[in-house]
Amino acid sequence: MPEVIVPIGPHHPALKEPVNFRVIADGEKIVRLELDLSYNHRGIEKAAEQRDFIRVLPLLERVCGICSHSHSSAFAKGIEEIMQIEIPPRAQYIRTIIAELERMHSHLLWLGVAAHEIGFNTLFMWTWRDRELVQDTLEEMSGNRVHYGMNEVGGVRCDLTPHQVSTALERLPFLEERIYQYVDMVNDQQTLLLRFKGVGKLTREEVLKYGAVGPTARASGVDYDARRDDPYFVYTEVPWNVVTDTNGDVYGRTCVRIGELRESANIVRYCLENLPKGPVRVNAPKIAPEGEIFSRYEAPRGELAHFIRTNGTNKVERVDIRTPTLANWTSVAMCLVDQNLADIPVIVAAIDPCLSCTSRITLINTPGGKPGIVTFDELRKRGQTYCQEQGPP
Amino acid sequence: MSVLKEMFRNLLSKPFTILYPKEPVPIPDRFRGRVAIRDEKCIGCSKCSVVCSVQCISMVDSPKEIEFKDKILMRKKKPQLKLFRCIRCGLCERHCPTGAIYLKNELSDSGTDREVVVI
Amino acid sequence: MTGLLPGLVYVFLFPGFIFLVMYALFFESLDRKITARMQNRVGPPIVQPFADFIKMLGKEVIDVDGVDRKIFDAAPVVALAAVMTAFLYVPVLGVSPFGFQGDLVLVLYLLTIPTVVLFIMGWLSRNIFSSIGGVRVITQMFIYEVPFFLALLTPALMAGTWSISEIMLWQQQNMWFMILQPIGFIVALIGLQAKLERPPFDIPEAETEIVAGPWTELTGRRLALMHLVKDVSLVTGCALITALFLGGPVLPWAVTPAWLGIIAGFCIFVVKTLALLLVLSSIKVATGRIRIDQLNTIGWKYIASASLLQVAIVLIINYRWVST
Repeated sequence: MPEVIVPIGPHHPALKEPVNFRVIADGEKIVRLELDLSYNHRGIEKAAEQRDFIRVLPLLERVCGICSHSHSSAFAKGIEEIMQIEIPPRAQYIRTIIAELERMHSHLLWLGVAAHEIGFNTLFMWTWRDRELVQDTLEEMSGNRVHYGMNEVGGVRCDLTPHQVSTALERLPFLEERIYQYVDMVNDQQTLLLRFKGVGKLTREEVLKYGAVGPTARASGVDYDARRDDPYFVYTEVPWNVVTDTNGDVYGRTCVRIGELRESANIVRYCLENLPKGPVRVNAPKIAPEGEIFSRYEAPRGELAHFIRTNGTNKVERVDIRTPTLANWTSVAMCLVDQNLADIPVIVAAIDPCLSCTSRITLINTPGGKPGIVTFDELRKRGQTYCQEQGPP
Repeated sequence: MSVLKEMFRNLLSKPFTILYPKEPVPIPDRFRGRVAIRDEKCIGCSKCSVVCSVQCISMVDSPKEIEFKDKILMRKKKPQLKLFRCIRCGLCERHCPTGAIYLKNELSDSGTDREVVVI
Repeated sequence: MTGLLPGLVYVFLFPGFIFLVMYALFFESLDRKITARMQNRVGPPIVQPFADFIKMLGKEVIDVDGVDRKIFDAAPVVALAAVMTAFLYVPVLGVSPFGFQGDLVLVLYLLTIPTVVLFIMGWLSRNIFSSIGGVRVITQMFIYEVPFFLALLTPALMAGTWSISEIMLWQQQNMWFMILQPIGFIVALIGLQAKLERPPFDIPEAETEIVAGPWTELTGRRLALMHLVKDVSLVTGCALITALFLGGPVLPWAVTPAWLGIIAGFCIFVVKTLALLLVLSSIKVATGRIRIDQLNTIGWKYIASASLLQVAIVLIINYRWVST
């Protein structure tokens, strides 16, 4: 076969999110890759500049559906540092518990998605079934499965009751047993090993060169974790380890994530058992002094960074969000070259991409060259004329 | 082997799925569901409409005498909430001084009419 | 079987056309149910494939621009006719009334036709996903076809006949080929799984890679018929392996009266095919999808060598014991 262009996305069963790859393939081998990321610009950063600190947190939570706690935590952490307020230890512990539960549900979700990308739907069903336990715990603690709404500037919004603590502790042993089973499954499922080992390899040097973060970097032996290297919350008090691996391929990333699942379970247990008494929030001032902060947070997918600038009002002057997916994209584009066409979904899924969170720009291309509001009927008409001009594909 | 073991254990055990409309789904106490307002408690302070993240709460005229901290207050306004604009973030409940506006732990319906209100 | 009427009943009513379609759809629903339960889900109701089939028959057929629609309409019918014809030569009620020396070879080639049809449809679809899928279909066929044929021909070698019904009768007198030729049996199961494009060999229709492969542009009754072809192939494949390796639909001893024997045989046929379905579903649930290059390596290195080894063993046994 000559070189063909395989369009993947923005609508494709492999990627449930809006991204477009134009894969130039020679038979089953990938020669080149063209990326188009910005399909879902939502203007969240601009919207955040128009809301005060109370109202901005629910907005920032909605940057991402899976790491919702990460975004609000990163922002709240930064603002608290600008305001120079110390949040009570109990609030720190609760934030850590939610953060680690979130990491667990994110990694379980990822394991299922990765298995689904190689057609191993059974593991997908099982991990998502067990993920429900984590989600139930989160729902009981915060009141919602996805957007927990736990954070506010100055602490957390609701306290944990002793009953919630004991239910969560009861669920942990079962979850840990399941995690050990996944370790077994990943290591003796032959088809899974065939598809994961040696696929999407990144060396340590490449990771450092392209600036990959999170489990992608740790799988290549880069021993870096914002929770340890720029500690926040209570990660300095809790005994835990940074999980690294030397494989550097999709299998390595799987190992790192399963290892982190275990570490997270341990952190959650420690925090639940050693939950200090006291208030869960302090009264935060309405107005933040002038300042700039670069708030780093280890989200499940890697290092998340919020740059916040305040100007002495009750609103931020600028907030800039760098999601881990953006940092990992370059490495994906690089390690896809010379791989098999069949490996695209699993390599892309291996960084756990979250594309709508990543979109920060949008390209406008209107006939008149002017942006404006188009009604639905106009849009329809425009689509019809476009199709008529283009003719059948 | 662990995969096969789990497979056949599942084959013989009950499915995990809850057949939702037929079987009830447990809803925790803290669940943030449909918004409701206790009219007899609201003192009309407008805090909820200020903190509302999507600005779906507006204050409408509703003069009434309200007992608050052993005093009788004369309230002028009370909140009116656009149900399907609400994202149920719970900020109004968190900031309400009297507990007049709150989120029930029952599912909120969904709809497309933006003007449906809760009084 | 003598006379026109019993022959027509056999072809169109039972166990031919009508029964086969019903049994195939039932097979699919059972397959989905087993899969679902193994994955701890509830799964679709038993009537789901029937409902889907009827619904899809009534749906609009969308023609791909610039594609010869006559070929597109005819292809699924040809494939369906081929696999249904193949089923007539497989013993279901005692020996097949249409059996002749060499029907094994005919059945194997008839079972290949759906694969070729799928390739043609994929290639004609003028869609990049379909084309890649079509190429994968044909590549995969070249990999599994040789070991699959070899594995299914070894019983013929040992029984010394090319008729499926006679191979079955040979087993009635001696022993099941599953016990005599375990390697061949396993290779045949793997080959069948690959032929039906079920995991781990669902490479041509890999959902997450190439949408639905050759199936992408199929709509309406074409899609319904192709689904039916796949289900009928599953039944025919199971029935073929039952006849060749598991002793077929006959009791190991003679039963009087004859009609009781046939009914008992039919029950045995159902039980054996369902047992095979359970095995095939378990393989489907327990594995992920492998890559085409990995399948190439595995197929030619291990599966083909295993089937050759089985042929060699059979030839040695024949030379030492059977012929003397």
